[in-house]
Formats: sequence, structure tokens, C-alpha cells
Amino acid sequence: MKLKHIFYSLVFLLFALPSWAQPGLSPQRKQAIDSLALEKVRDLSKYISIIGNKETPFSEANRVIERALELFTEEAQMGVSSLNREEIKYYNVREYFERLMALNYDRVSIEWYNIEYISDLVRQPDGKYVGVITIYQRFRGESDDGLNYVDTTKKDITVYVEKKQAQINGRLIDFWDVLLGDIRVKETIPG
Amino acid sequence: MKIFKTLFLFLLFAAGVNETGAQVIGKELGGEDFLYAETKQVNQFFRRFNCEEDLDGNRLYYGDSLYRDPNFREKYINMLFDQQTKAYDDSLKRHFLNDVLDQKEPIYLDFYDDKWFAEVKAKFRFNGKVENAVIFLSLEREGYGIKWVITNIFFQPFNELFFADSTPSGKFLHPMSHELDFMNLIKVFNDTKAVEYYFENTYQPDFRSIFIYELKKGGLKFETITDVRFHFFQVDNWYFEVSEFNRGGYNRGWLISSLMEAPEGQKEILLKYIYYEQ
Repeated sequence: MKLKHIFYSLVFLLFALPSWAQPGLSPQRKQAIDSLALEKVRDLSKYISIIGNKETPFSEANRVIERALELFTEEAQMGVSSLNREEIKYYNVREYFERLMALNYDRVSIEWYNIEYISDLVRQPDGKYVGVITIYQRFRGESDDGLNYVDTTKKDITVYVEKKQAQINGRLIDFWDVLLGDIRVKETIPG
Repeated sequence: MKIFKTLFLFLLFAAGVNETGAQVIGKELGGEDFLYAETKQVNQFFRRFNCEEDLDGNRLYYGDSLYRDPNFREKYINMLFDQQTKAYDDSLKRHFLNDVLDQKEPIYLDFYDDKWFAEVKAKFRFNGKVENAVIFLSLEREGYGIKWVITNIFFQPFNELFFADSTPSGKFLHPMSHELDFMNLIKVFNDTKAVEYYFENTYQPDFRSIFIYELKKGGLKFETITDVRFHFFQVDNWYFEVSEFNRGGYNRGWLISSLMEAPEGQKEILLKYIYYEQ
């Protein structure tokens, strides 16, 4: 994970403009950060599919949960609602993954629509930037006794972007760290 | 896939968001087209309203050929109207579009402008019962950036406590009370139903403080959020509301749910109405 992190950062540095270039984020920098954030969201999508897959061995699913948790800030929560339940249920991320792993279906398929929407990045009082990436998921759970459940959910994922420094060969290098935060999961009506 | 998506949105534009035509196109695209058309975030509402993104949802910047392009923008804004509403009609939409797309002084929405705010409906448990609260939030600058802050709260159980007495006459402390060391305050504080009438004429209860007090004392417990909408006062002489529509078809997501002409002098009245102060 750490190697991957450094790789992302170095890839980003190739695109990066000097930090003093302008007070906000230049379009080029925004684009580079978007790529980093999307990479994390795609990792999350992949992990969710693995955790939910009934063919994934228990130990492997647990290992993937740990990997997935590394993508998130400590206090991140999932707020889940469905079409027939007005109430939003709140889970911490680990609990959400564990519930996904324990779903009582014999077969589960999780597919992702080929669409991602990335918001602007807005600076918050502490200087970090925050944005939201929206993705869509199709879930299908099947049981041997014929019980089927299908839903399409919209996932609005908070993305925190923070400028950090790392020391490499004695030199301080700036890089942008991307972490995922709260996720709003909303069942949506397919077109 | 991107080519199909762009083609689809062009066709949607050309069809003037014609649902029937668009659905036929949709089948050929494998059923994802409704998501491209959907205004997926409030952020996208701003960008589409201003024509600051392309058909793929990529941000447009000053200098890009389509950035704030008036023709493109008109089509985008048309997509942002709720096509199923009876709350406003085509002539009002036309009038609004004419003002917003004015050739000399087009009007754009600004995320950082303070003339828009959020209204959140939420459920709280209060005295053993689930009650609805309305929370108003605005953006406020602080430190390096910006944050949402709670500016107002409406909570009916609190509202019922104030000014409910229809016969407030005689509810005052006579002007010589001071000579008696205000001994008549006992009547004020024993008559709790009407105590508010003994305050200055301009007194208005601040539900925010009571709310915080009850939360801290444990009398009020948050349950869930049930609705989020946004009120926009950024366009001169207009007010509109933006809500999320989770429904089939292409006219979905964050759309204009309410639109009305509001002369600047009357916006204060409208604000009071939204804040449940009238």
C-alpha cells in the first residue's frame, strides 16, 4: 500500500505545478488530483466487489477489508437509505464492509456503471480541500431458495485532499495525499 | 463509451429533453444513459446552470471554447427545470431564461455568494416522540476556506410554546413596578403560558439556543435526515428552489422544483416565509 501511495504521489508530481503558482488549484493540478482520487475510488469499487463476492474466502475478504479501510479517514461513515425506508442508517466503514461480507445470499454480483462524476475541490477552514465523487452500483443477491434482491445505488463519496511533505534522500518533496471520507449510499430508480 | 455518452447528451439537447425519443436511444446504450442526463450533484447543477462543464461532465475553464457558451447554456438550463411540475409553466421558464441569458449581462450562479442556502428536514426524538425539525444552513468563510453553518432552526414543539395566548392584553409590568422592587414579577413567572409577552416588543425566540440546550441536556436526540433542498436568491428579481428528484427517465437529480418572480423588495418577505417566521 505504501509503495502504491508513493507511486501515486510521484505520478502526480510529474503533472504538478509549483505550489506558489496560484492560491487556488490550477486546472492542471485539479486534473491530477482528480486522477488520484478516482484511482482510490476505483480501488474501493474493486474491494467492495471482492468483499461482497460469496466465492471470496473469509480470510481473503478480511484482508481486503483492511486494505479498503486504508483508503478512509478514521471517522468516515456510510449513510445508507433505500426507496422503501426514509430513514438513513449510519454505519462506520468497517461495519459496512463486514455486513456486506455477511450478506445472506448464495450468490452476489456487484457491478459498477461506467460513470463517475467529480465535483470541484473546495477548500475548508483547515486548508484541506474537499470534493465529492459520485458513482453508481448495481447489486444482485440470489439465494438457492429463489430469493432475489436487486438494487441500484448512487454512492456520493467524500474526498479529502491535503498537501503533505515527505523526505526522500534528504530532500523535502511536496505531494498531495488523498483520503476518502463519508459516503452517502442512496438507492436510486433506474432509468 | 465516451463517444456514445456525448452523442446521447447531444441528442437529448436536440430533443429538448424529450423523454420518449430519449428512451429509444437509451436502449442502444445499454441503460446507463439516464445517469449521464441526471444532475448528479448540486455542484453539477451550478456547472450546468453556468455552462461550466462539457457533456462528459469535465470542468470547463475560462478560455475553453464552450465555457459559458450562451447557446449551450440555454440547453443546459432547460435540462434543469422539473419537466413534470405544475408549479411553474413554460412562459415563466422563458421569462427566467431571458433574464438569466441576457446578452449584455448574463447572470451566473456563484457557489461562494451568500445568496443561497440549504434547508434540511430532520427527525428528532423529543419527549419520547419523533418530531420534525427544519434546519437552515449557509456557507461561511473561516480560516483557509469555507464551511456550512447552521443559521436557523424551526421546531414546531418549540414554536407552540411561544405567543400562543390569543389574549395578550394586560400582560405587562406597570410602569411603577420599580417602586415595589418589582414584586409583581411573581405573576410573570408563575404565568408561564404568557411569560413571553412581558419581554420587549422586538423579542423573538431563538430556537437555536433552545435546541442546543435540549441536545446538551439529552432531551433531544437526532434520528435521521429526511429531505434536503436549496433556496437561491442570486438572480435579481427571481427566486428558485432546487430539490433532488429520484425517479425514472432523464429529467432527474437536482432540478429546479420551484420558480417565481420575486422583486428585490419582496425577497425579505419570502425569506420570512421560508424560515417559518410568517
